[in-house]
Amino acid sequence: MQAVWKLSKYIKPYILFAIIAPIMMVIEVSMDLLQPTILQHIIDDGIAQNDTTYIVEMFGLMIATSLIGLIGGIGCSIYASRTAVNFSTDLRQDLYETITYFSNSSKDKFTLGKLVTNLTSDIEMLQRALTMLLKIFVRGPMMFVGAIVIVFFTARELFPILLVVVPILAFCMYYFTALSGKLFHKVQKVVDVVNTKVQENLAGIRVIKAYNRKNHQIDQFADINTQLMQRSMSADQIIGVLAPLTMFVVNMGIVAALWMGAIKVDNNTLQVGVILAFINYLMMVMQGLMSSSMVLVQLARAVPSAGRIVEVLEEKTELTNSSVSESKKIQGSVSFENVSFSYLKGTESVLKNISFHVNAGETVGILGMTGSGKSTLVKMIPRLFDVDSGVIKIDGLPIGHYGLEHLRQSIGFAPQKATLFSKTIADNLRYGKSDATEQQILQALQTANAQEFVDRLEAGTEHVLTQGATNLSGGQKQRLAMARAFIRKPNILVLDDVTSAVDNISEKAIQRAIDEQFDGATKFIVSSKISSVRHANQIFLMDDGKIIAKGTHEQLLKTSELYNEMARTQAEKGVTLSE
Amino acid sequence: MNKQQGRPPNPIGHPGGRFTGPIVKPKNQKETLLRIWSYLRIQKVELISVVIFVIISTILSLVGPFLIGKTIDDYIVKLDISGTIRMALILAGVYIASSVLTWIQTFVMIRVSQKTIRRLRQQLFEQYQSLPLAFYDKKQQGDLMSRMTNDIENLNAALSQSVIQIVSSFLTIVGTAFALFYLDWRLALVTLIIIPLIVYATKQIIKRSSVNYKARQRDLGNLNGYIEETISNADIITLFGKEKSTLVEFKEANEKLRGSAMRADIISGFMGPVNNFMNNLGLSLVIGTGAVMAVTSGLTIGVIASFVTYTRQFFRPINQLSNLLNTFQSAIAGSERVFEVLDEVREIEDIEHAIEKSRFKGDVTFENVEFAYESGKPVLRGINFKAKAGETIAIVGPTGSGKTTIIQLLTRFYDATGGRILLDDEPLVHYKMNNVRDHVGVVLQDTYLFSGTVRENIRFGKLSATDEEVEQAAKIAYAHNFIKYLPEQYDTVLSSGGLNLSQGQRQLIAIARAILEDPDILILDEATSSVDTMTEVHIQKGLNNLMNGRTSFVIAHRLKTIENADQILVIKDGQILEQGNHDSLINAQGFYATLQNQLMAN
Ligand SMILES: Nc1ncnc2c1ncn2[C@@H]1O[C@H](COP(=O)(O)OP(=O)(O)O)[C@@H](O)[C@H]1O
Ligand SMILES: Nc1ncnc2c1ncn2[C@@H]1O[C@H](COP(=O)(O)OP(=O)(O)O)[C@@H](O)[C@H]1O
Ligand SMILES: [Mg+2]
Ligand SMILES: [Mg+2]
Repeated sequence: MQAVWKLSKYIKPYILFAIIAPIMMVIEVSMDLLQPTILQHIIDDGIAQNDTTYIVEMFGLMIATSLIGLIGGIGCSIYASRTAVNFSTDLRQDLYETITYFSNSSKDKFTLGKLVTNLTSDIEMLQRALTMLLKIFVRGPMMFVGAIVIVFFTARELFPILLVVVPILAFCMYYFTALSGKLFHKVQKVVDVVNTKVQENLAGIRVIKAYNRKNHQIDQFADINTQLMQRSMSADQIIGVLAPLTMFVVNMGIVAALWMGAIKVDNNTLQVGVILAFINYLMMVMQGLMSSSMVLVQLARAVPSAGRIVEVLEEKTELTNSSVSESKKIQGSVSFENVSFSYLKGTESVLKNISFHVNAGETVGILGMTGSGKSTLVKMIPRLFDVDSGVIKIDGLPIGHYGLEHLRQSIGFAPQKATLFSKTIADNLRYGKSDATEQQILQALQTANAQEFVDRLEAGTEHVLTQGATNLSGGQKQRLAMARAFIRKPNILVLDDVTSAVDNISEKAIQRAIDEQFDGATKFIVSSKISSVRHANQIFLMDDGKIIAKGTHEQLLKTSELYNEMARTQAEKGVTLSE
Repeated sequence: MNKQQGRPPNPIGHPGGRFTGPIVKPKNQKETLLRIWSYLRIQKVELISVVIFVIISTILSLVGPFLIGKTIDDYIVKLDISGTIRMALILAGVYIASSVLTWIQTFVMIRVSQKTIRRLRQQLFEQYQSLPLAFYDKKQQGDLMSRMTNDIENLNAALSQSVIQIVSSFLTIVGTAFALFYLDWRLALVTLIIIPLIVYATKQIIKRSSVNYKARQRDLGNLNGYIEETISNADIITLFGKEKSTLVEFKEANEKLRGSAMRADIISGFMGPVNNFMNNLGLSLVIGTGAVMAVTSGLTIGVIASFVTYTRQFFRPINQLSNLLNTFQSAIAGSERVFEVLDEVREIEDIEHAIEKSRFKGDVTFENVEFAYESGKPVLRGINFKAKAGETIAIVGPTGSGKTTIIQLLTRFYDATGGRILLDDEPLVHYKMNNVRDHVGVVLQDTYLFSGTVRENIRFGKLSATDEEVEQAAKIAYAHNFIKYLPEQYDTVLSSGGLNLSQGQRQLIAIARAILEDPDILILDEATSSVDTMTEVHIQKGLNNLMNGRTSFVIAHRLKTIENADQILVIKDGQILEQGNHDSLINAQGFYATLQNQLMAN
């Protein structure tokens, strides 16, 4: 419930709509309530006095009230929808924004599937509940309370029946909505799982096909599918019980009224007409409760959704910006001072006490075993993660002192996995530099040795990539990802093993181009091949999260046993061939 | 972003306008409805029993008021207490029966619709597993997810109400119509005048809401596509500081949805008030005419009073039906998107009497194989080679020359568009596709790991593998070495895509997975590209044993295997430029030799 309160601020901008809608509804309901009175006048005054003109007048009045009611109803619908849709759209925008700034660990915590459910189903649920609330909620309680009051004044002899029936109904309603709320929470959780499953099965479709695991996957899905069915079923069934149960309680009230009524009529303390009226009002009580209960059920479904959304909205982003954000141009000297880091706090560190200094414009080669922490180390520079202890400085200033945007703007980063978006090649490159000119795009492609293949595409740089760039070869993807980093002309360039799928001739060409064009930039080049980094000013040899040796190629050959061994195995493997 | 170039930015989620939605050509609604019905129809027994229950409970609900009237008139007024009590008990019985029946109806219908939904969801998932890869190249994953949840859910909402309401409404309408005519046929006709109006109004609203619901579902799908892709690749967005422009793009899609959702909501929301108006109008007409008739031709007030009650009862189910139709528009919009996928052509079916083998020797022959992903743009041209059982074939060539494509033909991810591929001297397409894939093990260039434990991921290669076998495979792939340092070793849970491992580690697990499969033909497509050279040497040792005696295809750079391979295929621009072993290729002084010399000189 607290969550609902927290989200109420999203209604504020539309508060006027939110107020108009129920008012319009009141107009519609009042016009409906006027009709019986007019009817009574027609019968009592019109027909009784044979006054045709009066009848026609009253007829006109009825039509008029109907029309006013129509306007009220339509108005209510319009304003209720406007409030609800605007509310949900704004909320979605904010939610998405929060998620966009999520740290990796937050994303892992919530999982992709859940975040997608949050942004779609959960918000949808809130939107529906709000629409209902604005459209129906006035009507139900008005009818319910009104009927009770009237019974109190006109059929007091039978009022005790209400004293029994109403609490029972209220209890049922409360119990069932609370229960269904809980059950719907569970439903949403399975929806998360379904989303995750489908997403993985689509992303990993090639692996599934390669291993012919279609049936295995289908069986797995059948399990959660059945689970989803069962949970939805129990939630639906609970609501399904509510209507017949309410009807039953009310009808028992009617039976009781007849029974009690008969006795009282017998005692001459009650008139028959009162019983009839009471029964009618009891029906109204039921109708009022039933329509309120529909809203209640929707609300019960919405409350857990609201809770889930608030949970995401309130997730802290890990990175904190210092109050003073330095915005002077970054030259590119980088130093690590006793940096330690672990992905999961409390587990063994992935980076252990890393210290080094790199001058602006130098090239650093990083070598090491798989999983030794190379990628992790370079990810610290653009603050994809923050250190657990130690300091990272750029141009002598801790990186926390730079504005995040400014810091990242100065870094060109090509990650190990070449991830591209389902847009045109040009748009993908513009990711690196939004105002890049055609010329700059071509230049970057050239540096990455990608121009040749892009030229051969019919649409050239306007070629549209599929999701995951599955319509490119591995090496082509890597080149584009590289070009995206190059186009920024950054002062710090990070290339994380980006030529693993690029043939060696091309790699040489790329290296030459980088040397020419990024002469002044500090370059971090992660690689598994000594040949890619042998001319670096410094080479770091990493093992198990530590830099175990540091120096130029020649120095390392003299000082490091492991480096020698690596050099030997690589030489043994002979000339590296094309891809 | 690129406005300065005077080119409109790409519409989000559907580059190149591939997803021009169904709004352009509204499909046949009736067809979709019939198709939905075909799903429901399967549960005949339940449906028939529901219909029977509805009939009984509708009659019971009419009996109730009748009994009340009778009790009052015949017993209470006559001060017959014991009679009243008897009647009250009968009434109670009727009410209990009617409540129970109503509950049973709902209970059964909820089951029916949930089961239907499950069936549909399962079918959709199976379809996702059966479509050719080319399909996935065209669609956004998030959009496909949206079809699975959101679109199907829309149908659920309509289904559980449908049968009950249709039957009970129909019964009530017919019953009340009789009563109306019985009371006074002239007034009854007046009541009926309203019906064409209701039908007309309903049609108008539905026509519009149907279009808008479709637009809404489409926009929602697009938005989901965008959400899924951007959240999956959030790293890149963070790295390039693209949060703002991502938000702007999201906003564009979100605003689109705001528009279409608003229109769909508002227009379908008109149904209620419009129907209410029609009721009131009808009532006014009845009363007005009735009153005039009372004055002129002596119609009794009692008849007018009854008419008012019956007219209300008459309109209520009509309103319900028109509301149901409206709800169905949303369901149809969702179902159409589901059916659209179900109607996609599946992967090529096996031919009749397809061969199935328990073991393959491993002779592979390519005869003049041609292939194009998109017609008119050949990627492979005239590929000819013969790999004898047990041989190791290295495929080398520049990026984009078609190496992976050759592999993908062998695993039948795609089928050759010309020439033929023979496996053990039989055309590949003569085998059952599953049979081939079961015996061809491939480590793909793009590794993918599923969420789950390390063990489960390796076991994906052979579902029946014991823990020992899993570890054995991991040892050969040199993955054991890092797995043993993971927090929970083999039970460490990986996130989707294996993102909590280093790229190289993911490759090692993928290799272990392939080793466990123990295939007759092993394919390694740059399987160790992200692995350091020291580790690679270890893997190589393990693999040498494994590759001994089984046909292997290796795409790699810097592997000694290339030199030792029985055959080397040098691919360039989709053609085999040279083939032979290392020595013969060096002697031939061709492309391969130049490659080597150039690198030596470097
Ligand atoms: N997102 C993550 N969550 C948890 N552990 C991770 C994550 N990414 C990497 N690791 C672990 O951190 C270690 C170093 O990984 P990485 O820096 O990627 O290695 P590499 O040197 O191969 O680039 C590995 O043991 C890996 O399993
Ligand atoms: N799914 C696809 N759709 C369209 N074109 C593709 C697809 N996959 C690959 N291509 C194109 O086919 C060519 C060969 O690709 P590939 O076989 O992956 O090359 P590689 O030799 O690097 O493995 C490339 O130009 C690539 O862009
Ligand atoms: Mg790495
Ligand atoms: Mg390839």
